Amino acid sequence: MPGLEVALQVITDPYILGLIFIGTIGGVLVGALPGLSSSMATALLLPFSLYLDPIPAIALLASLYCAGTFGGSITAILINAPGAPPAAATAFDGYPMAQRGEAGRALGLAAVSSVIGGTFSVLVLLIAAPMLARVAYSFGPAEYFALAVFGLSMLSSISGKGAVKNLIGGCFGLLIATVGVDLTTGVERFTFGMPELYEGIHFIPVLIGLFAITELLSQAAKLRQEVVAIGVSALKLPSWADFNKVKYTIMRSCGIGTFIGILPAEGSTMAAMIGYNESKRWSKNPEQFGEGAVEGIAGPEAANNAATGGSLVPTLALGIPGSATAAVILGGLQVQGLRPGPYLFEQQPALLYGIFFSMLLANFLFLGFGLVGAKVFSRITQVPRALLWPTVFALCFVGAYGLEQSMKDVWVMLAAGLVGFILKRYGFAPAPIIMGLVLGKLTENSLAQAMIIFDQQWTGFLGRPIAMSFFALALLSVFAAPIKRLVMQRVRLT
Amino acid sequence: MTNVSGVSARGLHHDVYVGLVLLIFCAVTFYITTTFDSVPAMLSQNIPATFFPRLILFVIAGLSVILIVSGLRRTPEKLGGIPGSVFLTAGVITLAIFLVKPLGTLLTVSLLSMTLTWLWGERSKTRIISLAIGLPAAIYLIFAIGLQVRFPAGVVLALFGAGG
Repeated sequence: MPGLEVALQVITDPYILGLIFIGTIGGVLVGALPGLSSSMATALLLPFSLYLDPIPAIALLASLYCAGTFGGSITAILINAPGAPPAAATAFDGYPMAQRGEAGRALGLAAVSSVIGGTFSVLVLLIAAPMLARVAYSFGPAEYFALAVFGLSMLSSISGKGAVKNLIGGCFGLLIATVGVDLTTGVERFTFGMPELYEGIHFIPVLIGLFAITELLSQAAKLRQEVVAIGVSALKLPSWADFNKVKYTIMRSCGIGTFIGILPAEGSTMAAMIGYNESKRWSKNPEQFGEGAVEGIAGPEAANNAATGGSLVPTLALGIPGSATAAVILGGLQVQGLRPGPYLFEQQPALLYGIFFSMLLANFLFLGFGLVGAKVFSRITQVPRALLWPTVFALCFVGAYGLEQSMKDVWVMLAAGLVGFILKRYGFAPAPIIMGLVLGKLTENSLAQAMIIFDQQWTGFLGRPIAMSFFALALLSVFAAPIKRLVMQRVRLT
Repeated sequence: MTNVSGVSARGLHHDVYVGLVLLIFCAVTFYITTTFDSVPAMLSQNIPATFFPRLILFVIAGLSVILIVSGLRRTPEKLGGIPGSVFLTAGVITLAIFLVKPLGTLLTVSLLSMTLTWLWGERSKTRIISLAIGLPAAIYLIFAIGLQVRFPAGVVLALFGAGG
C-alpha cells in the first residue's frame, strides 16, 4: 500500500503529531464543557484549518471529533449533564455510580470502552471505506442524486418525534445552498441584488451560527441553573472483573455503533441510545440499570465512539456525511478543494491514511489524558459560563470573519444563529439544516446532470437499478416508522 | 429556552402555526423565484434556474401540510417564555457586530466580553478585566500576527495609523 507508507511518514511528523495532540486535548476539553460539543468545536475550528495543508487540517478535525465524543462522558458522569448529546445515555448509569463515590471507576470504564469502540470503528473505516469507494466507481449523476436523497431521508429517523421537522430542516439547508448565481444558467437566485451573495452563502458561517450562536443563546436562557459537580481524584482503569462483565457489551456496541455510524445522517447520539438499550436488553441484571450498572456505561460509550469511524465511511467514500460532525469534516475536505469519493482514494491515499492514523492515535491519546488529567478535566466543568461564552463568541466572530476577511460572513453567522435559536425553540435541530446545506450542490448538480442525460424524463431513473435501490431505501426510511405505528395501532384496536 | 412540554394550553398545538408560517414562507419564496431572470431553454439545457428551488419548496410545502395535520391531532403545549437574558445577549452581540467597523475588532471584543460577562452574572472585577484584556490580546497574537488575518482597525486604531 503506497499510501500507507506515506501516511506513516506523515503521522510521525512532529508537526502533525503536535496537531493531533492539540486536537485530542481540545476535543476532551470541549466535550467536557457543558454546551460545547465536538460538532460545534469542529465548526469553530474549520475556518482556521484552512490555514493548514489538507492532511494536518483533517487530522486535527478528526482527532477533535474522536476525543470530543469521549469528553462528553466526563460531564455526564460528574454533573449528570452530558457535555454533548452522544453522552446522554452515559449519564443514566455514570452519574449514579459517581454519586456512590466511584467517579474514577465510571470514567475509567467510559474511557476504555470509548477507546475500544473508536479503534474498532477506525479499523472498519480502513477496510470498508475503500471498498465502498470502489462501488462508487459505477455511480453516475442519477445514483449520486438518489444517494443524496437517501442521505436526506435518513434525517427522518434521527428522532421519531421530529421526523417531519428534520426533513424540513434538510430541505431548508438545500434551499440555502441555492442562493447565488446558478452555474448552469448564470441566473442570480435569492441574491436580492446584493453582490456579496453572488457566490452564494458559504456554509462555514452558517455552521458556526447554527451550532455556536444558537447554543450561546440557549445557554443565556439557562443562567439561573446551577450544577453540582462530583470531584474525582483519578481515573481508574477497569478491574479485570469489571472488564469481564462488560466485554460482550463492548463487542456488541462496537458493531452497533459502527453500523449506525455508517448509515447516512445517523450519528453517535443514536448509536449510544441503541447501545444502551441493547446493553440493558442483553444484561443478566437489567434491574441494575439506572443505578450505576457497569454495562450501562460501557454500552453507550463503546457505541458512540464506534460511530465516529463509521460515520466517516460514507463521508469519505461517497461524500454523504454519516453525522453532523462528519458533515463539518466533509465541508473541511470541500474547502480544501478535495472531493470525497473513489478518486480521493486513488489520488490522495496519504490523506486518507493520515485521517485513519490520526483517529487511531487520538483514541489512545485521550485514554492517556484521561488517566493523567482526570482531576483537571473534572475542574474544567466548573469554568464559569460567564467567562466561557464571551470567549466562544469571540472565536465565532474571528472564525466567520477570517474565512474571507469579510463582515458579510459575520452577519450570515449572526442571522443563522438567531434563526437557529427560534427554530430550536420549535423543535428544529441544526444538524439536518447543515446536512442539507453540505449536500445542496451535489444534490442539485447531480439531479440536473441526470435530467439532461435522461432528456428531461423522470422515467429515466427507472432504468438505473442502483438509483432505484437508494430511492426504495429512502422511502423505507421515511415511511417505516409511521407504517409501524399504524400497524401497532391496528393490532391494539383488534 | 424553557420548553414546558406536556403543559396544555388553549388553542392549537404550536406545530400548526409553525406549519402555516412555513406555507407562507414557501409562497413568498415561490413568488421570488418568478422574478428570476429567464434564459433560453437551450442555454439552460431545459433545466431552468427555478427548477431545483421550486422542487424543494414543493417538498417543504408538502411536509408543512403534514406538520399542520399532525399538529391538529396533538394536544396543545405551552412553550415557556424566552428569558430577558436571551434578548439582552442577542442585542449585545448584534450591537457588537455593528460596532466592529467603527471601533475596530479588538476594542469591540474587549467591550463585548466585559458587557457579556457582567450581564451573565460575573461580578469579580479581576475576572472581568482579565478577560477584557486577555481575549483581544490572544486574538491579536494568534490571528492578526500568527495567521495574518486583517481585522477592521476601526477609528481608534486608525487615529494612530495602525491596522488590526
